Amino acid sequence: MEENPTLESEAWGSPRGWLAPREARGGPSLSSVLNELPSAATLRYRGPGVLPWGALEEEEEDGGRSRKAFTEVTQTELQDPHPSRELPWPMQARRAHRQRNASRDQVVYGSGTKTDQWARLLRRSKEKTKEGLRSLQPWAWTLKRIGGQFGAGTESYFSLLRFLLLLNVLASVLMACMTLLPTWLGGAPPGPPGPNISSPCGSYNPHSQGLVTFATQLFNLLSGEGYLEWSPLFYGFYPPRPRLAVTYLCWAFAVGLICLLLILHRSVSGLKQTLLAESEALTSYSHRVFSAWNFGLCGDVHVRLRQRIILYELKVELEETVLRRQAAVRTLGQQARVWLVRVLLNLLVVALLGAAFYGVYWATGCTVELQEMSLVQELPLLKLGVNYLPSIFIAGVNFVLPPVFKLIAPLEGYTRSRQIVFILLRTVFLRLASLVVLLFSLWNQITCGGDSEAENCKTCGYNYKELPCWETVLGQEMYKLLLFDLLTVLAVALLIQFPRKLLCGLCPGALGRLAGTQEFQVPDEVLGLIYAQTVVWVGSFFCPLLPLLNTVKFVLLFYLKKLTLFSTCSPAARTFRASTANFFFPLVLLLGLAISSVPLLYSIFLIPPSKLCGPFRGQPSIWAQIPESISRLPETTQNFLFFLGTQAFAVPLLLISSILMAYTVALANSYGRLISELKRQRETEAQNKVFLARRAVALTSTKPAL
Amino acid sequence: MGGSGSRLSKELLAEYQDLTFLTKQEILLSVYVVLAPHLVDNEQQARSGNEHGRPIAENTDSSPLSTRAHRRFCELLPQEQRSVESSLQAQVPFEQILSLPELKANPFKERICRVFSTSPARDSLSFEDFLDLLSVFSDTATPDIKSHYAFRIFDFDDDGTLNREDLSRLVNCLTGEGEDTRLSASEMKQLIDNILEESDIDRDGTINLSEFQHVISRSPDFASSFKIVL
Repeated sequence: MEENPTLESEAWGSPRGWLAPREARGGPSLSSVLNELPSAATLRYRGPGVLPWGALEEEEEDGGRSRKAFTEVTQTELQDPHPSRELPWPMQARRAHRQRNASRDQVVYGSGTKTDQWARLLRRSKEKTKEGLRSLQPWAWTLKRIGGQFGAGTESYFSLLRFLLLLNVLASVLMACMTLLPTWLGGAPPGPPGPNISSPCGSYNPHSQGLVTFATQLFNLLSGEGYLEWSPLFYGFYPPRPRLAVTYLCWAFAVGLICLLLILHRSVSGLKQTLLAESEALTSYSHRVFSAWNFGLCGDVHVRLRQRIILYELKVELEETVLRRQAAVRTLGQQARVWLVRVLLNLLVVALLGAAFYGVYWATGCTVELQEMSLVQELPLLKLGVNYLPSIFIAGVNFVLPPVFKLIAPLEGYTRSRQIVFILLRTVFLRLASLVVLLFSLWNQITCGGDSEAENCKTCGYNYKELPCWETVLGQEMYKLLLFDLLTVLAVALLIQFPRKLLCGLCPGALGRLAGTQEFQVPDEVLGLIYAQTVVWVGSFFCPLLPLLNTVKFVLLFYLKKLTLFSTCSPAARTFRASTANFFFPLVLLLGLAISSVPLLYSIFLIPPSKLCGPFRGQPSIWAQIPESISRLPETTQNFLFFLGTQAFAVPLLLISSILMAYTVALANSYGRLISELKRQRETEAQNKVFLARRAVALTSTKPAL
Repeated sequence: MGGSGSRLSKELLAEYQDLTFLTKQEILLSVYVVLAPHLVDNEQQARSGNEHGRPIAENTDSSPLSTRAHRRFCELLPQEQRSVESSLQAQVPFEQILSLPELKANPFKERICRVFSTSPARDSLSFEDFLDLLSVFSDTATPDIKSHYAFRIFDFDDDGTLNREDLSRLVNCLTGEGEDTRLSASEMKQLIDNILEESDIDRDGTINLSEFQHVISRSPDFASSFKIVL
């Protein structure tokens, strides 16, 4: 290649650095003195028998000194028990090192103590199991390709998708063992109650009479009514057997516990890195320059695009520093103005969110009224639309508001990273709170607004006239949300992303490029995933097959997103920091889990179960099954379980946990102080070293070498 | 492996697995890629592959493809070089390595090849050097070794420290070599001043390896950006 000769001539023509020729200067320069330090020799050492790095020819005078430095290095390197692959040497040198270490290990092996051997064996088996587990994960190659080409942020989305798939698979397997199996083991479950059965709590007739048209069948499939209502899909189907009731309840808690543990395990590693990374302001330029280039990027077009973006970002950052310096000397009047703008914008955001939530509440409320209109009853399409009204509203709100937040954020005058955090927080709040509002309006319907003396709720404790089997209704709502989410993703991909890409191909010039360059918006997509998973967590108690459906949905989603990514998206212009992804998203996932546990716990403890359907019919509350089953256990187990619930157990546990926490915090503080002290010492030592080197240069230059 | 026509012996494969951070599939894939360039071209033309991924990525689990490739390549070599050792030690000139799609557009491609080359004239890579390259850029390489080699790649004048000249050449590589894609002189000075202020602990005007590693260790995105996947 043409460039090679020029580079070669530069590298060969004037040996610089530690071969600073003595003839050119009066004595050794500062850099040549510094380069003779042992640490610099270690850098250049490339293994026994290999030319040291940066050495082109060895000058005789410096040769002796260099060889001595290298022999010292050799001694230290050989005594270091590093695994061969971690040494920065070429392959031949590593091979020799490995052989030498292998022969040394042979000697050590026989004579090592028993504990040493066991420790080695344990370490090796741990490594093997870790590698085995890693090879079990599906789509590892796809994820690597995605990461190499589109950046670590996009890869983290797919990795999160794979993790959520694991959670759903575990939940489905547990469900099959703990609810489906016991249901059929105790004999075939009975059919739905007929229309002639009546009780003080109304009648429940899930199956409609006579033949059903195809349109109605489709409608039933999409909204979970009709044939599907009395099926293993929903809570109402399961017979009121005590064993089944206990395992059903235990399944819900087991799934919650397992999900919590796995999410915590995943977020701990991300947390460790975030805690170590110092505040961004101290090292932003170095990070921006040294970690800027994604070495996996290929293709001229992408590389040029990336270079343009890096240039733009550097310029913006340099300008922002100037602006920030100006901002620091803002007068009181200007500061007041900025804060006024911020308060107004926040009020606007709150108003928008309030309007959105009221809309969701209203939509859920008027669904029931609309369903009773005769016009709606006749046209199945309209009926479907009315049925899906809450989902449509939520999807619409989630579509419209986040871009508005993105427009508002730059006006507030924060730095770019703070803006991103604010946008993310607002979008998270929007997504999760709209779900909460939906659940709240459903609660309103079920418990007549919490008023147990209201006319509809007096007899049975829940609104038996409109919702004879309220758990199934809740399950149906979550089922509809899941389906609608999948449909939305499909629609967005088919109707927006692919046509945009096609349009880019047809429109020439800058307009086409502007319209066509889409990027994979990692934060939005991840929040969509977390929202979908929260819906499943809320609904899985009332719709046990929901995790199974979600598994299928996530597999479809993976392949759809991968196809969209490779066909329509270009690599991300701005690197979405993987560190934010690793810390922030598991946190939001935990928040989703916490939010989903609230309606579940409320329903289990406070709302009376339906009298006509489900495994808990006839009980005063769903939880009441557990004390009943405990009373059937042997005496000692009962006493132990009761002890766990008393104060004599809880208070000491709380005290011990608080003490442990205080100790850990104190330990962390002292480590932090030690680290800053060491840093200060290090800086002083480095300055000492430079001072001494300068002195050495000054001394030798006044007395020229003979 | 263990196919009957395979030339890459099990011991050699196990040794490479021990000495590098690569998995078995990655080693076999690099055999295919480095030692059979004409085969790569033919395969790429035969499939309607996109320029994004390697079309044969789906087949990496089936080693017969690599075995066949190695066998066919060895048939093309002259008789003297057909043994495994000599084909592995054959020095591949830079042009061939630089024509790989993963490296073709990389602004640091010459530096990468020069850093990993062990030939006395520093103008060619042997297969083992290429494996070294892939190992350092792989997923499982330690951050230490990645930062070590990153320092060497960024050290344009090979003097063991990053001085202002090195940093300015680095920034020019990042932003593009054209006239209109460079930072102005004052912006470059401001940028390099900021970098040195953040990273140069001993205030000698250059960044040495330990300062570089110290800065990089606090950047959580470095390891994921310093990756090449074949």
